[in-house]
Amino acid sequence: MQSTGKDSRRRVLEVLGENGFIFIFILWVIFLSLTTDTFLKSQNIFTVLRQAAIVSIVAIGEMLVMLLGGMDISLAALLGFSGIVSVSLMVDYNVHPVLAGLAAIAVGGTVGFINGFLVTKVRINAVIATLGTSYVLSGMALAYTQGKTIVGPQLQQIAFLSRGYVGPIPVPVLLMFIFYGAFYIILMKTVFGAHIYAVGNNDKASWLAGIKVDRLKMLVFTLAGLLAGFAGILQASRQGSATSSMGSEFLFPILTAVILGGISLSGGRGKLQNTLLAAIFLMTITNGMVLLGISLYVQGIISGLILIIALSLDRLRYQGR
Amino acid sequence: MATVLSLLHISRSFPGVRALDDVSLDVERGTIHALVGSNGAGKSTLMKILSGALAPDEGSMLFDDAPYAPADPSAAIRAGVSTIYQELNLLPTRTVTANICIGKERSRFGLIDERWQRERAAQALDRLDAASIPLHATVGDLKVGQKQVVEIAKALISECKLLIMDEPTAALNDTETNLLFRIIRDLKGQGVTILYVSHRLKEIFALADVVSVLRDGKLVLTAPVAQVTPDGLIHAMTGRRIESAFPERNKTIGNEVLRVERLSSPGVFEDVHLSVHGGEVVALTGLAGSGKVELGKALIGDWPIESGQVFLNGALFKPSPSKAMAARFGYMPEDRKKEGVLEELPVQRNISLPSLSRLADALGLIRFDRERDLVEQKIRELDIKTPSLKQLVRNLSGGNQQKVALAKWLATGPELLLLIEPTQGIDVAVKFEIYRLIHALSSEGKAIILISSEIAEMLGLAHRIAVLFNGRVQAVLDGERASEEEILRHTFGQVKEKAYETQ
Repeated sequence: MQSTGKDSRRRVLEVLGENGFIFIFILWVIFLSLTTDTFLKSQNIFTVLRQAAIVSIVAIGEMLVMLLGGMDISLAALLGFSGIVSVSLMVDYNVHPVLAGLAAIAVGGTVGFINGFLVTKVRINAVIATLGTSYVLSGMALAYTQGKTIVGPQLQQIAFLSRGYVGPIPVPVLLMFIFYGAFYIILMKTVFGAHIYAVGNNDKASWLAGIKVDRLKMLVFTLAGLLAGFAGILQASRQGSATSSMGSEFLFPILTAVILGGISLSGGRGKLQNTLLAAIFLMTITNGMVLLGISLYVQGIISGLILIIALSLDRLRYQGR
Repeated sequence: MATVLSLLHISRSFPGVRALDDVSLDVERGTIHALVGSNGAGKSTLMKILSGALAPDEGSMLFDDAPYAPADPSAAIRAGVSTIYQELNLLPTRTVTANICIGKERSRFGLIDERWQRERAAQALDRLDAASIPLHATVGDLKVGQKQVVEIAKALISECKLLIMDEPTAALNDTETNLLFRIIRDLKGQGVTILYVSHRLKEIFALADVVSVLRDGKLVLTAPVAQVTPDGLIHAMTGRRIESAFPERNKTIGNEVLRVERLSSPGVFEDVHLSVHGGEVVALTGLAGSGKVELGKALIGDWPIESGQVFLNGALFKPSPSKAMAARFGYMPEDRKKEGVLEELPVQRNISLPSLSRLADALGLIRFDRERDLVEQKIRELDIKTPSLKQLVRNLSGGNQQKVALAKWLATGPELLLLIEPTQGIDVAVKFEIYRLIHALSSEGKAIILISSEIAEMLGLAHRIAVLFNGRVQAVLDGERASEEEILRHTFGQVKEKAYETQ
């Protein structure tokens, strides 16, 4: 039967398209395990996961915002600014690390709330609004640090956040899995999560179904900010210092992880676990090239090509229809 | 007469559905050929195949005595087959000329030849006797009827020989409909063949020469219109006799559920008073632009209110969808696809959405077993045809989508239901299912507001019929005694003149 043949071809395309990057990810992992002896060593795997931790935690917030059909450009700058706040409190004012950490998270939440307010109440497009806050945050970081690095022995107190272990598992990796577990449950099993998917799908219909759409959006932007604030502490611990440009290197990895993870840019569709896998995939690309001894100067070209191939598979889904 | 289009054993499947099953059909040149069928009968699939948007799995076509297998819509247009979809495909921010000439632009020295375009556009509008539409007007500012004419002009520019029209009158009022019919007959006189897809039997008898009926993907009837009856068509479409009688109205009327006092939104509706009791169906009607739809939207908070008050069960109600839900006030909007359902979500979540908070435990975790039970119960009660609870609503037929939009409110156990055009664009069989449902709900004591432009359904269901004219309530008629003529007279604001004549 010709028609069933077409059906099954369509289904293969759909499965492949739905998880296109995973397919490339697996190929890449197989390739690396065959060509290098070091890739599959547990030490290397933990290195990759540890590198993925910060990006993937912020990517949760970005993923939620993008599920709603928005995009938050400010999260990387927010991560940096919160990191500076926590480090400065500890080093310059001798504040207890727990309080400094809470302050960083509070800063994250406040800025996230402001983003949400700009998007829902002032009705500025999410990309534009967060681009604005992003500039303000980088500017504040520069103004506050005067371009100097903040560093001090007090930061030893938070070193365990990036270098510590629980049993064999590095602390940041553990935190990453805890966050993903918690947000998986929130997205898949709670009313809040169901409402996020509904609003991302069609906000007018969701509003008419009695969902408080604006409140939900503000909450999601705030959550994204809180996560970025927390990630700021992790980054401060990892760097052992704070600098004015802190966090800026995360902007593209965060967005790439979420988009590669299959979040539809128009919102309403996507899986959280794929965001995590995509963040890890991103790290294996760089990690693998280092192991293969590829020159730093051409790494960018190869990462770009791998991403384009993975994203092209994603388009197959739409052609399969 | 010669055959212009032949379909030979056309089949097309989608995962789980055989949308078209061995369809063979001849369309004669210069005729108006109507294509009817219930939702899901395969009409849209057939249209898509003809317009090049979809390829058949099996079968072939002949158009103008040549094999016809358009690779994409532009190939179909080049071959002379133009399609006008229900959702018109116009660029609202561009001019009439630009819209008519799109894809046919001619340039001189790399610049668009504006004058040539204006001339071509003017010619096309002239052929449609519609020179009154200004060429430089922005299409978004035109009336729906005029937009339709622009679409037709667009088809004429590309020298179309077969024009496919999908429910072209869905958004038109009677005057605009008559105008459109005149244009269609003119086109026929000029040798253009029309494939006219519609639900509205009345129109088919007024317009078409030949009618074909699709049912479950099969062609079940093709006959000259003169040889069929409306009942015969319904029978062919549904495969069974429809119980088309309305049940007797519910007699036990309860307390007042909704009271509207002096509600105004200047320029749209003004000084509206309305009262709806439990067990009562109150219909609201009027022309397009009378304010009836906006009034309904205002009651749910989707249209601004300038002054006046709304009371629900005696308490002041400040309209908003979330407050309405808390007050057990359900709302089925007019635009099913954009507002009534979430097309990319499964049937299950669509139906449970407004009930989710109630279905969650103390931690906010949704109890999926309870959700499934509730959804399964509603699917049974409303007889929603879906292969599974996980099916995306996008894949359901229009009538079943409408039932989903209704089911989600019934699942909340509402006391008051506001339905805007609940049977618009759905087929006869589902229509009567919805009528029976409305009747059953009123018998259970629910209050129902039915905003409609279908006189038959108001006469069959409503206890009272409020007619709006220019934003004001022109009359409130007794649903059992009112006549079609009386409603129409009020609809056109003709009552005072009539009173004058009789004096």
